[in-house]
Amino acid sequence: MTADRPVIAVVGNDVPRQLVLAAGARPHRLTGSWGEPDAEAQELLGATDATAAHILDELRRDDHGFAGVVVCSDAHAHVRLFYALRATGASLPVHLLDLPREDSRAARRFGRFQLDRLIDFCTEVTGRRPERDALREAAAAERRLGEAIDALRARRRAVPPQCTGAEALTAYLAALRLDPVDASAVIDAARSTADGKAVRVHMTGSNHPDAAIYRELEARGCVVTGEDHDTGDGAWLGVAVDSGDLATVIDGLLDAHFARTGASPTEYAAARAALTVATSERDRADAVAALIRDLDEAPLWDVADQSEGLAGRGIRLVVRSRVRGGEAIDAAAELADELREAVAA
Amino acid sequence: MTSQAVARERLASATRATRHQKAWFLDVAERARAGEPYVLANADAPHEILRALGLPYVVNQWWSSIVAAKGAADASLAAIAAMGLPDHSRQYDVLPLGALELPPDRAPWGGLPAPRFAIAERSGDVTHKIFERWGRRAETESFLLSRTAAVPAPEGWWELVPDRWDEVFGAERIDFLRDEFDLLIGWLEERTGRELDIAELARIMALANEQAEWNRRTRDMLAAARPLPVEVTDIIPAVMVPQWHRGTQWAVDAARRLHDEVAARIEAGAAVWPDERRRLMWIGRGVWGDLELYRSFQEEFGAVFVWSMYLAIAADGYIRYGEDPLRTLAARFVGITDLLYAPPMSSSWYAKEADGHGVDGVVHLVADDTPGSALITAALEERGIPVLEIRGSNADPRVTGDLRERIARFLRDRVPARPAGR
Repeated sequence: MTADRPVIAVVGNDVPRQLVLAAGARPHRLTGSWGEPDAEAQELLGATDATAAHILDELRRDDHGFAGVVVCSDAHAHVRLFYALRATGASLPVHLLDLPREDSRAARRFGRFQLDRLIDFCTEVTGRRPERDALREAAAAERRLGEAIDALRARRRAVPPQCTGAEALTAYLAALRLDPVDASAVIDAARSTADGKAVRVHMTGSNHPDAAIYRELEARGCVVTGEDHDTGDGAWLGVAVDSGDLATVIDGLLDAHFARTGASPTEYAAARAALTVATSERDRADAVAALIRDLDEAPLWDVADQSEGLAGRGIRLVVRSRVRGGEAIDAAAELADELREAVAA
Repeated sequence: MTSQAVARERLASATRATRHQKAWFLDVAERARAGEPYVLANADAPHEILRALGLPYVVNQWWSSIVAAKGAADASLAAIAAMGLPDHSRQYDVLPLGALELPPDRAPWGGLPAPRFAIAERSGDVTHKIFERWGRRAETESFLLSRTAAVPAPEGWWELVPDRWDEVFGAERIDFLRDEFDLLIGWLEERTGRELDIAELARIMALANEQAEWNRRTRDMLAAARPLPVEVTDIIPAVMVPQWHRGTQWAVDAARRLHDEVAARIEAGAAVWPDERRRLMWIGRGVWGDLELYRSFQEEFGAVFVWSMYLAIAADGYIRYGEDPLRTLAARFVGITDLLYAPPMSSSWYAKEADGHGVDGVVHLVADDTPGSALITAALEERGIPVLEIRGSNADPRVTGDLRERIARFLRDRVPARPAGR
């Protein structure tokens, strides 16, 4: 794994990193920001989650340094972003990865086609097709990252936590942009002592493009011990298939894709709620918090099921929804107050 | 009778269609209450399969439009909120789920009992969650088809799509949906004890194409006619009711009668507004709760709405010819909403339609779930056609309150009147 490989930007959480790495590129996931997006980018996308507008703005600049971009169809905002890039003549090669959601023979056939096209795209960008040794090397490195993430999860759910949520999320976000060897080092280094008396919070709702909200919560008597959104514990990192045979790797990656519980826009509410209940219990959470951005519609539709499922386990769900760019920090402060009150009650 | 009086008389095709639809609906609802299965299907689900299996279906978006038009949207959205679900998201898709909770005396036309099956494509981030809710009802099972994104997305698709649909949508996408049709058919056959007759499906497909060909002729006639001979609010039901009966002889006959009636009005010199000074295009879904809106700008501005997507997509979007009925059907639905919303397919088509109809200005109602609106607007404005974008759901009376004022201001400020007689 060398540091000077071409960098392929990734939008969304469906790209199997092993394939990109084996083709000689480094995947770099873009996540946007909590802030107000650029007006022109937002106008191009219409009524969509502001993080997508931030990403579009970044990709439309000339100084991004990416050799190409892969956009996943795992959220409607991402599909819109792809359409906007395609229609406005992006300055870099653009590819859509369109993986089906429900497993079937037909879905697997289409999934294979999609991963084949992803490999073709990466090969065009790098000039290098994934060979046997590269597939195995990428798998080993990515699996090592997976082990590091498992250890990080264990540190976070310890009592008291051995890593704050903000530090863990910062490490995840860095890992999403790094070669797996460097990413493993960052994840391994995420260690800190959290306040043992803080309210243990599991985070659901919208994903978090940066750690600003976690920092605010943790400055106000909470500690985030885990999450089910797709830039934290739900990020598709550390998944690989130990084989040098491309067809076997693709089939194995599709197994993993169909086996996971995806992000809210791709999943049924019941599946999302089951994940929230299971992971919040695993993380020994006192309460669950959801901060849902304005126009990020899917998580709103999960709240009723999540609330019911958590109530059955005696865990409170606290929600702030339709949060606009620039309002997130204030919403997090309110959320922290409510979480402390909920647990005290 | 004056030319305007002729045009103001409601189209017999529209009256006949709405009368037929209400009678049909009451019959389906009564039979459903007696225990006969029916299907609630989204507009982009493969209705032809249901028809070939002899399963009556009610189109979710059509029923939503009736709920809105009959003033039951607020109560239906309140029912959605009472379930703990958001009442400000996907209103157009979710109204029927809320309407199910209304007492019969408050539900339009006595309401609709719960369906036996609910079928949709997984469009956007929420449709699958709405249909998940339908499937939790004791009486209902739901089935979701996959939605693939618009790759490729050629401009000029309307020339290719009748026969060269592999080029328009991509063979792999079509094959995927066609394979999922097999799953759907097996699922329905297992639950109903019925068996799909592929020859019957082929017959239904042929009738649907015949209907689309009539719609194409009607659209072409209206595009060329000056002044506008028929209200757009008459065209919509006259096209859309038969659309939901697609694949029947009744629907073919209805499409032909509409064509003949429009031709007769043109021949008679009918004019919706004889002093026609501004020709407008309405992009987006119809405001069913306030159809009078479309006539509101005639007297002051000489402005007539000459175009809605309903006839135009019926003319260009549905025709598919092919040997294998199931694969051809997959080609009909694999990208039908992309034609309306995915640029550059959508933007190039609206521009073509605006040119063809001699449009002076566009009102563009942009719902939260429709992508590509800015690029559609840009494509029209690049042609010198001013566009008013309005954001909101057509089904939510809370967000359409000030439409008249905004459209009037737009006409006054940005859409110059044509010289009289042009």
